[in-house]
Amino acid sequence: MIDFEFIEHTADVGVRVYADTSEQLFKNCAEVLFGLILDDRPKPDIEETVVVEAEDIEELLITWLNELLSLFFAYRFLPVDYDIILEEREDYKVIKSRIKGANFDPYQNKIKMEIKAATYHDLKVEKNDSGWIAEVIFDV
Amino acid sequence: MEFHLEKISEYKYRIPKSYKPGMRVDGIIYAGNKLLESIKKDKAPEQVANVAFLPGIVNYSLAMPDIHWGYGFPIGGVAATDPEQGGVISPGGVGYDINCGVRLVKTDLVLEDLKGKIEKIVNVLYNDVPSGIGSKGQVKVSYQEEKKLLLNGAKWAVAQGFGVKEDLEYCEEFGAIDGADPDSVSERAFERGKPQAGTLGSGNHFLEVQVIEDIFDQTAAEVFGLRIGQIAVMIHSGSRGFGYQVCDDYVKVMGKCLSKYAIKVPDRQLACAPVTSPEAKAYIGAMRAAANYAWVNRQVLMYLVRESFGKVFSKSWQSLGMDLIYDVAHNIAKFEKYIIDGKEKVLCVHRKGATRAFGPGNPELPDRYRNIGQPVIIPGDMGTASYLLVGTKKAEQETFGSTCHGAGRLKSRSEAIRTVDYEGLIKELRQKGIEVRSSGKNTIVEEAPSAYKNIDDVIEVVTQAGLSKKVCKMRPLCVVKG
Repeated sequence: MIDFEFIEHTADVGVRVYADTSEQLFKNCAEVLFGLILDDRPKPDIEETVVVEAEDIEELLITWLNELLSLFFAYRFLPVDYDIILEEREDYKVIKSRIKGANFDPYQNKIKMEIKAATYHDLKVEKNDSGWIAEVIFDV
Repeated sequence: MEFHLEKISEYKYRIPKSYKPGMRVDGIIYAGNKLLESIKKDKAPEQVANVAFLPGIVNYSLAMPDIHWGYGFPIGGVAATDPEQGGVISPGGVGYDINCGVRLVKTDLVLEDLKGKIEKIVNVLYNDVPSGIGSKGQVKVSYQEEKKLLLNGAKWAVAQGFGVKEDLEYCEEFGAIDGADPDSVSERAFERGKPQAGTLGSGNHFLEVQVIEDIFDQTAAEVFGLRIGQIAVMIHSGSRGFGYQVCDDYVKVMGKCLSKYAIKVPDRQLACAPVTSPEAKAYIGAMRAAANYAWVNRQVLMYLVRESFGKVFSKSWQSLGMDLIYDVAHNIAKFEKYIIDGKEKVLCVHRKGATRAFGPGNPELPDRYRNIGQPVIIPGDMGTASYLLVGTKKAEQETFGSTCHGAGRLKSRSEAIRTVDYEGLIKELRQKGIEVRSSGKNTIVEEAPSAYKNIDDVIEVVTQAGLSKKVCKMRPLCVVKG
């Protein structure tokens, strides 16, 4: 079970996600996002490499989540298992992910929620004594 | 914590620019006593203040009475920028659902004609109009054809047989905004848009069959061909995945523009670029392509609604009098002329959950509506009412020709799910004579009437403030939710 909770937002869906490491946080955020979209997790049989760069970790998280969303809605790639390497330098962050997934057509199969995008509004990615926390608002 | 708003008149409240260092202009929120309490508790006034940071913003950062917490801009936000004064365009001021909007179709049917047929109508609409999450549309186009669609909007749809050329006359921008640039659109957006043209979508998108319950302006109603007891159909949808991808692509691009053009905004979702920059020009071309996609979408949806009515009543849509009254965009940025300090200026007007409301005489209006003003279509929640208004000269002078766009959310979706009982809601709607269909129970619960502000309160503010005039009020009979 992913450790997360909902944040109240008048129009959209906000989540607060917890993890022990930054890599785990990225993975947990992706799992929470796709958990909002659908319950099924088919057996993965294809692999995609997703590499995303940004100037800071907040931008990196949103860019990565939106990359996964558009791979799903444009190319029907449903991510299931994540293998992530996060490289951080002063003003350059990169996430290199090898993702096992399955072909899933959201236009033929029933999904729970259509998420338009992860937004920067009220975005937080923080490390504290007990681990990592991210707060993300999704436009639905 | 409650937000402090200064009352400046019965329906106007100010956030002075001294509220936060960096605000370039005051914020103005249109509201009345009944709406004020919920607005003050929401994060939306803070967002009105944030929008006031945008370079080149003119007069005020404005908010309509249906304002609620969004991302970047508040929903219900209006901001105009002056390109000659370093004015910017922000994809966050348009939103992910570019040219989300509403169209209203009249019929010559009256309530009596629908007796015993409401269930049949809602079932045919639900079956024949693709709705719900990730639904697939009937419009199948090649990459080359999709480019034509993006350039020509509803004109393309009409040329394909999804309507008649008279429909185009009654759309904002006549159903196709000039300057769309398919070459500024990513391959992703093309892919994401391909299966979705001609689909309603999910969330707050809907089709609603309504009866005209009250008429406030007989002259305007006659021009629209509407009378009490008559049946109309409202369609609410946007640019689907195509628009979401365009917005996402350009929020990324504009994020980098903040440092490039030394722009400071308090929320990265307000990322923007000077209107004259190459990044802004590319966004404008792509946004207009998405706007045209949305006009195609609503045109095809109207075609399917006309066909559905034809099926139920065994008559052509023409003989049922199903003419388009008007189609408005409520998530868009437009270049419009206004007089600022005695000089005519072309401003970039962002409407994020706000409707254009041009007054009588405006050259943008079709000839038939030139004397009464632009039709403004305001959907309420599915259990109460919707309104048809007309725009005013005062709106052109005060709010860059803008008014509200709906009732405005009051409760979060999760609060609605916690507090609204599905079976109870369906029963309550049935008692009011309203049939609802949706692919998901959660959508209905999230969109429950109690999750929204009272539409009458919102309409009272925009009419009392002089931003629009009431023409008629419509009551829902059946609803297809996405």
